[in-house]
Amino acid sequence: MNRVAASGAGLILLAFLLGPILWLVSSSLQLDRELFTVPPHFIPKQPTFDNYRYIITRVPPATYTGDQIGRRASGEALSLIPALRNSFIVSIAVMLINVIFSTLAAYTYARLRFRGRDITYAFILTSRLIPAISVAIPIFVLIDRLGLLDTRSALILVYVAFTLPFTMWFLMKYFGFFPPEIEEAAMIDGSSRLGTLTRIVVPMAAPGLAAAAAFAFMGSYSEFLFGLFLTRTMASKTVPVVLVATAINHDVSFALSFAALVLSIIPPVLFALVFRSYITRGFAGVLAR
Amino acid sequence: MAGIQERGAADLRLGRARARPRRAVALYPYLSILPTLLVVALISVYPLLFALDLSVHRNILTEPLAHPFVGLRNFAETFGSYYFVRALLTTLRFTAMIIAGTLAYGIAVSLFLNRPGRLAGASRIAILIPWAIPTVMAAIIWRWIFNGNYGALNALLVSIGVLPEYISWLGNPLLAQLSLVLTHIWKWGPLAAIMCLATLQVIPRDLYEAAYIDGGGGWAVFRFVTLPFLRPTILLLLILETIAGFVTFDLIYVLTGGGPADATTMLAWFAYAEIFRFLNLGKGAAIAFVIGALTLGLALIYVRLLRTEELYS
Amino acid sequence: MKGRLLIWLAVLVLMVSLFPVLPAAHAAPQVSLNFMVWTFAVDTIQENIKRFQQRYPNINVRLTDYNWGQFPDTIVANFVGGSNAPDVLYSSDHWLQQWAAAGWIAPLDDYFPQVKEMAKSFSQYAVEGMSYKGKIYGLPYYADPMAFFYNEAIVKKAGFSLPPSTWEELLQQAKVIKEKGLVKYPIGFGFSQQEPFSIEVFISMVYSRGGDLFDKDMNPVFDRPGSATIKAIEWVRDALRAGVLDPETLQWDGVQAGNAMRAGNQVYSISRASALWSFNNPQQSKEAGNFKIALMPGSTHQTVGFVRFYAMSSQVPKRGKDALDAAWNFLNYFGGPGPDNSYPVVRRWALDFGLGFAQMPLFRDTDILLSFGKWVDVPLLQRIGQRYSKVKQGLTPWFAQWDVFTRAELQKAYLGQQSPDQTAKNMAAKWNELKRK
Repeated sequence: MNRVAASGAGLILLAFLLGPILWLVSSSLQLDRELFTVPPHFIPKQPTFDNYRYIITRVPPATYTGDQIGRRASGEALSLIPALRNSFIVSIAVMLINVIFSTLAAYTYARLRFRGRDITYAFILTSRLIPAISVAIPIFVLIDRLGLLDTRSALILVYVAFTLPFTMWFLMKYFGFFPPEIEEAAMIDGSSRLGTLTRIVVPMAAPGLAAAAAFAFMGSYSEFLFGLFLTRTMASKTVPVVLVATAINHDVSFALSFAALVLSIIPPVLFALVFRSYITRGFAGVLAR
Repeated sequence: MAGIQERGAADLRLGRARARPRRAVALYPYLSILPTLLVVALISVYPLLFALDLSVHRNILTEPLAHPFVGLRNFAETFGSYYFVRALLTTLRFTAMIIAGTLAYGIAVSLFLNRPGRLAGASRIAILIPWAIPTVMAAIIWRWIFNGNYGALNALLVSIGVLPEYISWLGNPLLAQLSLVLTHIWKWGPLAAIMCLATLQVIPRDLYEAAYIDGGGGWAVFRFVTLPFLRPTILLLLILETIAGFVTFDLIYVLTGGGPADATTMLAWFAYAEIFRFLNLGKGAAIAFVIGALTLGLALIYVRLLRTEELYS
Repeated sequence: MKGRLLIWLAVLVLMVSLFPVLPAAHAAPQVSLNFMVWTFAVDTIQENIKRFQQRYPNINVRLTDYNWGQFPDTIVANFVGGSNAPDVLYSSDHWLQQWAAAGWIAPLDDYFPQVKEMAKSFSQYAVEGMSYKGKIYGLPYYADPMAFFYNEAIVKKAGFSLPPSTWEELLQQAKVIKEKGLVKYPIGFGFSQQEPFSIEVFISMVYSRGGDLFDKDMNPVFDRPGSATIKAIEWVRDALRAGVLDPETLQWDGVQAGNAMRAGNQVYSISRASALWSFNNPQQSKEAGNFKIALMPGSTHQTVGFVRFYAMSSQVPKRGKDALDAAWNFLNYFGGPGPDNSYPVVRRWALDFGLGFAQMPLFRDTDILLSFGKWVDVPLLQRIGQRYSKVKQGLTPWFAQWDVFTRAELQKAYLGQQSPDQTAKNMAAKWNELKRK
């Protein structure tokens, strides 16, 4: 591949990766009447932050006069801020619980042999292969019977279960690459297993734990199917549920839902960029021998 | 895998040598995996049994009181249904397309990302962004791009002369399927690229140099040096993409609603519609069960392959 | 033991996470009503609720709006899931019988005997659309005929003095308009599979050709060779092939078809008659004033008349007398004459949005007649409503399922994946299967 061709390919790749997002941002800075022009304006002719203002303050700006947009705002489109709150609470709770549980289990699977080790390990990993749709209805009924329908706790429970197998597998592989000698030395000095794990292994594995935390957070923040089934009101609706309801609803202003979309992709994108080196190093650690 | 087991065995010997047969030590492994095991069991075993129970009863939401046992009739009706077979074929076609597309994208892009230079450096950061964006949100963005009247894709393709006039992306059966595939690749291709890149980065440089000295061209080097290293990662991606294909729901829900006609009605959507639109919970559960069994079966076959692969590599 | 402690802590975290967040307890003696609607002019609904609550300070109405296309799915999930079932809600003749047969919504005349008397003031087709097994399940939110619209300015520019009176003529006019380059796609409908209106557009096409869907025993007749249904399917397919019907139409709902009309990109459409209000509203439409309503093309010009209404869920009677009283006050205020015999909500929808009504006393309301006169030919609208409108045939507990199935089958035929005859056969097979069950 010569240099020019490589640069061309790189530019096309960058355009493919970022183009859709730039188009989204541009659309969110227009009002509906500008959005519905042919050909579309890639750069807004009359850029405005009114869509954002409306979502954040819930007060219709002056440009939304009459029948243009004011009448076309679903309650859902304006519920983005409470939905973001729900999403954060759920995702952070899942992240914390997940990292604690999966660290404990992963270290055991990486280092110890005990009766039932292989079968429980296979069981946990295989559970991840069950498609969500296959168990969606039973889980719905289960959550209903537990009286947890339309609560954030229900989502936390389900998301912990769905993110655990992957993070556990990931951390097990990660721990497996550490030389066991350091831990053995500590154990000879009288440290317990758990003590060794918390004092020696966890600090060493910090990048891996950070990556696992990121996976758990992003997995929970993105989840849609259970969000759709298990939430009913703004007591528990998460961002994907609210956004989808808005975006496929043609009675709602498009511009408004694009502004909501931009606001809600900022957290995971920031998260990914901040944790970038951990995530890539984590993959490198697990995939490369 | 084998290495870990050896280490575990060494550990066991160590424990015996040090002779600390305390209960806490014996119980520790079980206590430490218990939380994970419990949560996972609660959200997988119970629901699976429940789904099985649902699927052998007649359970129609509009008849909340009568749930007679019907044996395998729901399954028989499912397999005998022309619409199920269509959904299955659509799913297989879609899955094949995303496997091919994502793998090709992942490998090609990772080769580029592995190069030195500012452009590749910027791309290594940019590639994380689609990966970080939740699937449904990616689908909403692409739904707007594919919009036949005001969308960016038509405008772009017409302005650069690729298309003579606007076309309906989501209103044409074939294009709607391809639109789903493209959206999937935009969202999940980056993960494949990141994983391939992580693997590429550990290939020793001298291997390449040796290959070039031996007179290998670009393709030969890729074929005999790069590809063998990538193979386990490719197999892993194969599993991930197969599962992804069989459970694709979010994209359909946002982009096409299974249409036009039934062009994008895949199994997960079919199960959803059976429950919430045709109100047949028993049959929906049977379909969902079939999806689970198919996915699990395929995944286990792959895992077998992966194991063998690991043993011989 | 630090180790044990950590494990217990983890277990504790799990336990705590399992507990539901306790609802804030407010012990006011108020009755609250969960009101679920599809998204349309939500701010107007909010204002109506505010006025209602000023009138009845002890009633607290909580509004949730859902996407129209997903409305039946969502409501079914809410009914089945129990914890967030509505108390009062929008419904449509599409879904009434299914919901009533499942016991999700309550027959109003069982609890409010005055409904029988009130129903005498509603148009007959609206009452039919709200009835199941002789009981009335709702008070009308709005009721409209499906109507044929055209942009008179463009039709004239193309050299036609009159709107098309048959389907063939429509095709021919559209081709001329396209050839003259006036508009790229002269025809467009809300034919998305997610659009509950799409079946009403389609049945109107069948009715206007003098066709029937079912005989009086609810057996399909649409699958007979050469039926009006098959001809209607062929017509749509031909229009798509001729490039006069926008192919994007298969993804559109009524709102998008309306957008194309208002932007002047389209000349003909079929929608609820009240859509013309927004077409001819200068604040919303570039072409305001150019749009006219016409009889549905075809030999009989018949069309569908539908009703959307306020229903009460069957959990309200279980909640006791206070809840029932509150629900009645709500229903009467929103769908009936209200406490002052002024039809506060129905009248407002008519004046502010042009929504049609089934409450006959309002036909003599001069304010409404005057305001309708600004955007529609009132005598023609009344003629369509009274002489040409019929309820959808086949309203049964399984109509909703058949409808969803049929929408996908119709698209297959439009796209040429399947012959119109085969499509009609599949539709009939599904009908018979559902009917047997």
